[in-house]
Amino acid sequence: MPVAVVTGSSRGLGLAVVRRLLADGWTVHGLARGEQPAAPGFTPHVVDVTDPAAVQAAASAITAAGRVDLLVNNAGAASMNALLLTPVAVAERLMRVNYLGSFHCLQAFGKAMVRQRAGRIVNVTTVAVPLSLEGEAAYVASKAAVDALTRVAARELASSGVIVSAVGFGPVDTALTRGVPRAQLDRINARIGLSASPSPEAAADFLLAHARSAASGHVEYLGQVA
Amino acid sequence: MTQEEALRLVLRRLAALGRELGRPELETADATTRLFGENASLDSIGLVTLIADLEEDVRVAVGVTVNLADEKAMSRLTSPFRRADLLAAHLAELVRAARP
Repeated sequence: MPVAVVTGSSRGLGLAVVRRLLADGWTVHGLARGEQPAAPGFTPHVVDVTDPAAVQAAASAITAAGRVDLLVNNAGAASMNALLLTPVAVAERLMRVNYLGSFHCLQAFGKAMVRQRAGRIVNVTTVAVPLSLEGEAAYVASKAAVDALTRVAARELASSGVIVSAVGFGPVDTALTRGVPRAQLDRINARIGLSASPSPEAAADFLLAHARSAASGHVEYLGQVA
Repeated sequence: MTQEEALRLVLRRLAALGRELGRPELETADATTRLFGENASLDSIGLVTLIADLEEDVRVAVGVTVNLADEKAMSRLTSPFRRADLLAAHLAELVRAARP
């Protein structure tokens, strides 16, 4: 039975990915800051991905029990601010959660995958990077770092049989985007050729289809990104 | 774990890596074998693989989790990854420190 680790698994896209994987017969470990109920095939871990020691402890516990076939680096934070008015603390938090969170998990679980000489890592990014969306400079910069990390990790780990790729979304219909004005969401979706924000389940399906076949280093977006 | 035991672990893992990578010189590595750096046996991903494998070997052998590439190791003037005996000494030191 294949084993997956999903970060940010308590809600939104992460929770939808967990449910899809469980339905497909995977064993799933969820990493999230809050408590999550255990379920058949699902083991929750209370982990803040910005804490490297906590990530390493979870990785050690999980990999001591066996292999890890898939890591989905989904945990993330978003904030919309005019660039010149963005508090430094917000920019730092976005970098810590989005970039360093992915970095810590990639390091911890990547080592286990190198030992296995196999594994797949999917990082979650955003269409805001290629679109250079105004009003999201700090968020875009943190996700651009994830894209760059993905491409370099793909090259470094290729000879070990570890595939690293990324999948990017526009606004997914989750609690995170429900506070964003509808007109703003419509504008972003129109730019990527979507009539509405996808549901978490639709986004999860896209992510897992990507995970089944994406080449290492590939960054794939849901929607039309020129 | 003594330094001699750690060296045996390092050499055994190097030999296995040599078989996997088709690098016969790793199968006959000894304490003085240069691992990383100029004229060394491993490239960067080879070193990463060796480190990842050794950390697991240690966990299985003595039940402790070590991080071979910790900040202390990376900032030393004499890299513990330069030679097999230096790596063994570093490994033995980490295991001693990790054991209650």
